[in-house]
Amino acid sequence: MSDITLYHWEPNANSGKPMLALMEKGVAFDSHYIDMLNFDQHKPEYLAINPQGTIPAMTHDTPAGRRVLVESTAIMEYVNEAFDGPALMPDNAADRWRIRWWMKFMDQWLAPSFSMFGWKYFVGPNALKAHGEAKIRAQIEAIPLPERRTAWNKAVFGLFSDAEMAESGRRIAVGIQMLEAELAKREWLASDTYSLADVNGFNLAYAMPLSQPHLANDELTPNIMRWLRAIYRRPATRACWKLGRTPMASRVEILETDYIAQKAESEGLYQLGQLGEKA
Amino acid sequence: MSMILYHGEPNGPSLTALAMVGETGLDVDCRPIALLRGERHTIPGLTEPLARDMGLEGEGPVLVVDGEAMTESVFLAQYMDEMAGNALQPKDAYAHWQMMMWCRRITERCAPAAAFLGNKAFASPVLAAMADAEFDAAIAPIVSGDLKQRWIETRADSMTEAAVGNAMADSTTKLTAAVQMVEDQLADGREWLMGDVSIADIETYGWLAGAEALVPGVWDNRPRAAAWAARVRSRPSVAAALARATVAQPETAWAPGPEINRWG
Ligand SMILES: N[C@@H](CCC(=O)N[C@@H](CS)C(=O)NCC(=O)O)C(=O)O
Repeated sequence: MSDITLYHWEPNANSGKPMLALMEKGVAFDSHYIDMLNFDQHKPEYLAINPQGTIPAMTHDTPAGRRVLVESTAIMEYVNEAFDGPALMPDNAADRWRIRWWMKFMDQWLAPSFSMFGWKYFVGPNALKAHGEAKIRAQIEAIPLPERRTAWNKAVFGLFSDAEMAESGRRIAVGIQMLEAELAKREWLASDTYSLADVNGFNLAYAMPLSQPHLANDELTPNIMRWLRAIYRRPATRACWKLGRTPMASRVEILETDYIAQKAESEGLYQLGQLGEKA
Repeated sequence: MSMILYHGEPNGPSLTALAMVGETGLDVDCRPIALLRGERHTIPGLTEPLARDMGLEGEGPVLVVDGEAMTESVFLAQYMDEMAGNALQPKDAYAHWQMMMWCRRITERCAPAAAFLGNKAFASPVLAAMADAEFDAAIAPIVSGDLKQRWIETRADSMTEAAVGNAMADSTTKLTAAVQMVEDQLADGREWLMGDVSIADIETYGWLAGAEALVPGVWDNRPRAAAWAARVRSRPSVAAALARATVAQPETAWAPGPEINRWG
């Protein structure tokens, strides 16, 4: 039993950020797996922790009482400030500014575009197949946050417009170029030391060579590939991705491949669609 | 190390950044630019323009430090505070998390709403009155495709009437909710949002300074919020920032801002 419990899904995107930050920090925590495709996040036990019904969430029991924290990037900053262990934010104020800037850019601009593809090709179709239309409609009705209700509706019933998908595709291409350019400047994403920006970025980017093989590979983005492989080699990353239970997390093993050539965009969409098949 | 702050009229994120200069007492060279003429996109001497080009705040202030463009008013506030000795952020990690969560609600929900309403009311007519050639020249250097699109939509509404109506109603709800959030937060009698005065007060006031013109009467039945706004406004830093205005009503100065969340 630890004072800290993290409620999370796969080591991926928002769930993976605080998982990896805790592991890098060397902070022991109780892991509470929430199966997102089984709607665990909308069950009363979890809504008692986070009434918004989104993951991740973290509880920290302190002498002053139980603290409940939400919002993946904000949780990471808390973890970095509240616990001993290696600093995941540098001392230099300009570097800290740059880390915050990149995390906001990824959280609010780039990641939602990636997840639109993930939700359209993987989450929606697989949830529909697993639960059937009637049950899923009832599940969606019960989602507390209107934004999440919209997302589920669009994903399950294929309602993302062509214009929306095109804009997300545009942003993914721009974002990947920005990451490549930034990682050509220095070893890590936003400063000269490994930081929360790298933890955040890895969660966003680790599967790009599989899902966006036309944009991210050793031919086009050597700096991104160098960076992903360096983060993959870290013991904390290995330990973190072991907490995954589905083929989603095992995608990270692509980073064991020494050279990844460019492939067609359709190959990436196929890979996304396959995720559920193997599960 | 020199710091230059390129800012619009003291409203929204430019008000926050200017007030932080006063709060911290840092030696910052403050230079006004005409946001609606696109001057933010032709700032000279930038060796690292990325944050200006791709920042999510839209036409917010740009702090230039050693050639690097720095943007996003909350992070500029943190940077200035940390350069000056960290007086406006809680030291306790949990209190700090609470302040950052508060600021997130402002930047993610209130700011896009205020910017939408403010631009509709005050920037659209200015841009619509511009000649095509002048407008095209103003937006030509904008790097971000979606920011450029927001400029185009602000000038010539491409949304249907129903969509505009929905967005107006949604933004009015969100802006009102932000003032109510302030009202509720002060229910225990505290003077400032996080207890001690903090970046949350400055950032929130920046986005709410013009709220009355956008949602008339929004402060009326919210006495604690109204008194708090008056307290922030009378801080010397905020008063000095407002005194930099070159127009009579800086709280009506708007330029394309953050986008409304694409997921709904
Ligand atoms: N901004 C939040 C987003 C949290 C969020 O929406 N998480 C998604 C999963 S990545 C979720 O909980 N989805 C559950 C649902 O939509 O039902 C964060 O970064 O923590």
